[in-house]
Amino acid sequence: MIASVPAVALGLALGLAPAPPVQRPGSPPTTAEPAAPASPDAAPADVDPPADAADPSSTPPADAADPSSAPTDVAAEPADAEPADAEPTDAAAEPADAEPEPGDDRVLHVATERPGPPYATEEDLAELRERHGVEVASPPPRPPVRWRCLIADPSCRHSFELQAMGGYALRARQGDVSQGTVDRWNSARAQYDFWASLPALVETEGKSRYTRMSLGPKGGVIFSDTGDLWGNLGIAARYWLGRGRWAPHIEITSALAFKLATRERRGDDAPEEFRMQRGPVGFQADVGFGLGGFGSIVLGGQYDSPLAREEIPEEYRVVSSGMFYVGFRGNILWGGPAVTAVAAHASTRAVTRP
Amino acid sequence: MTALLATLLLLAPADGAPAEPLSAPAASDPEAPAEVVVIEDGSGEEDQVEAKLADEDDDYGPFFEADAPSDTRFPSQGRKGEVPLLSVGKGAFCFVDGTRCKVSLLADASVAAGLRAPASNKGPDMPYAHYGFRGGLVMRPLMFKRKAWHPWGLGVVGSWSQGTGAVTVESTTDDLAKAESDRTPAVRVALVNQLWLSQRPHAAHIDFTIGGVRSPVLTSGIPLIGTHAEVAFGWGGWGAVFASGDFLDQDTRVGFGLRAHGIAAAPLVALAILGAALGGAL
Repeated sequence: MIASVPAVALGLALGLAPAPPVQRPGSPPTTAEPAAPASPDAAPADVDPPADAADPSSTPPADAADPSSAPTDVAAEPADAEPADAEPTDAAAEPADAEPEPGDDRVLHVATERPGPPYATEEDLAELRERHGVEVASPPPRPPVRWRCLIADPSCRHSFELQAMGGYALRARQGDVSQGTVDRWNSARAQYDFWASLPALVETEGKSRYTRMSLGPKGGVIFSDTGDLWGNLGIAARYWLGRGRWAPHIEITSALAFKLATRERRGDDAPEEFRMQRGPVGFQADVGFGLGGFGSIVLGGQYDSPLAREEIPEEYRVVSSGMFYVGFRGNILWGGPAVTAVAAHASTRAVTRP
Repeated sequence: MTALLATLLLLAPADGAPAEPLSAPAASDPEAPAEVVVIEDGSGEEDQVEAKLADEDDDYGPFFEADAPSDTRFPSQGRKGEVPLLSVGKGAFCFVDGTRCKVSLLADASVAAGLRAPASNKGPDMPYAHYGFRGGLVMRPLMFKRKAWHPWGLGVVGSWSQGTGAVTVESTTDDLAKAESDRTPAVRVALVNQLWLSQRPHAAHIDFTIGGVRSPVLTSGIPLIGTHAEVAFGWGGWGAVFASGDFLDQDTRVGFGLRAHGIAAAPLVALAILGAALGGAL
């Protein structure tokens, strides 16, 4: 706004003045200058200024008197100037770089705008397309997504997914510390998660936008043998390697994992039952490779932190444990991952823990 | 700016012509007939458009323009002002909370983990985790009379959670008095203040919740009433992450969790229960 004030003043000055002739920097200013200082009384008689100088409003632009402040030479192009010469930008307010004419030092042209949009011709657009490697015809718009993005797709902006995973787990637990032993056993793992996939990296083709990478919170529950139940809360990232409905993708998740419950006996004569069980917060992380948001092969691990501070009585302490797992994870809406997870979950019945 | 300069340059008389004083353009005559503009699109067809003179009616705007045809968008992206998902009456009541809903149902499930801090003479801080369910209603009072969007929402929620048990360890003159509880149920009633951060579908919002909680304190088994507070950051009505605290006498529980709408959580809960039953955990 402030920057426009001088330009407007310049415009007003130019508009109020008669059309200035083409002037050369080397030519003397057209403003009449008194030949010698004269007394106020003698001035009217001695000086016969031109009509322009007598009328302040018709004085040539102040630019002519101050070549350093603004363009000295102004050549207003006619309104029917060639479109190729017209520069619709602020070039009108700035001295344009012009080829010097023979015998001239500088020639300044002030271009006029064409009367209305479009300000760019097809030739201009073609030049821009060529410069930036843009195709003339935009690719056709993508068809609408299916199932309202309940199954993730690169063309989805947000997707809220119901993920289930079932797979094999190699579990381990700290054994006798004095002997340095570790208990290991084969088990299964089932995980049921909610993912909120938000667009983190977006790219555009034509008028369609695509998600290249999504990132968002996720959380849910994890089960393994003997009724072990953990909650988990973390983030899930997915990087799409294509734009189609079956585009491959890489998934990376990490989360805090915390024990919620297990099946155990409290007391010698108490029956074994599914109970709440506390445990310190551990973590889990995995990486998966999948197709189109439908399913992924996942490889990961989980670590459960120990609770072994001195002030905690022995019977309330928790040893460190964890697992490595490999499995199949996907959206439950098409059935496959749900069946896999429940099957893996059911198979924990046969697991014998050391 | 450039246009004004160019216009003024054009108004300047040609060489030799007398200088005309610059005058402001005459105001448009309201009685003047409208112009007819012929638009050619290059296909040989012509459209005749009746163009209004400038300032014909003193109506400035509109201020909410439709998206420009050249704007890019996701194929899945809803149009601005679209009816909220799973709603009736164009957002008068939504089963999944949304930025354009006047009244919304809250029904979700959550998991959270954190810390349980007993009073200093009741034992050490212990890990604490819970799963829970929440229900309620939230409304947008300033969107009832006016159609204009407003970011503020107000609601009432009730929740139930099942948490891990408590441990107390107290020193006595002879020995340590140790006690443990199996679980920690809690019931809460609270007031929710929502602040929606945009009008887009699945818009982010911040929820502040203050209320009361009734829960057994530590290992006493005696339920007391305390204060519940929570701040949550959500995306539409589908999910949110939250930090919450229950502040009871000698028993403080704070946690960080995630909740998902019941429509999303119910199938997962059903699968988990089915799997647990088949796996012999229940």
